[in-house]
Amino acid sequence: MNEFYILVVSLIIIIGVIYVYISRSPFDKLIGLAIMLGGAIPFIALNGYLDVALLVAVIMPLTTIFILQATGRKTDDS
Amino acid sequence: MMLEYDPGMIAIYSPTMIPIYLCGIVAIYAVIRVVMEKNTLRKLVFLSVMNFAITGLVVLTIPDIMALFAGLAYFIGSNLEANAIASTYVGGEYSK
Repeated sequence: MNEFYILVVSLIIIIGVIYVYISRSPFDKLIGLAIMLGGAIPFIALNGYLDVALLVAVIMPLTTIFILQATGRKTDDS
Repeated sequence: MMLEYDPGMIAIYSPTMIPIYLCGIVAIYAVIRVVMEKNTLRKLVFLSVMNFAITGLVVLTIPDIMALFAGLAYFIGSNLEANAIASTYVGGEYSK
């Protein structure tokens, strides 16, 4: 059971990191960061640090919203 | 790998493992659809699907009451994040 869980979550993390690296638009990079966070939360929760998982899940969207204030909507290709 | 919640884990071939397998398969499918999609707004739809699946994985796997609050915080925060990206990308009169 743990093998399936760890395989799925690590695949999600690796796909998210590669997608952050290869994408051009800043919105696509933020989507890749959200994918990477979604893979990292179950690993934190599986090792027993549930309060750390709660705090990371609250703080990480706030940082994304702060970054979104910096990246305005570009009308060319993004 | 040493995990803390090993005594509460369930056997591999058990009927109670079917929801966990379904959540994992849905999460992988949603991630592949996000990466392969061209339109950014359609990516955000499948990002929300992935958030549902990850919340199900966290809540179904760990037999603890604190996992419910962690899953709740992750679900609210990630949906807020996806909707913030979508509303900035569409761009009302606020971002002009």
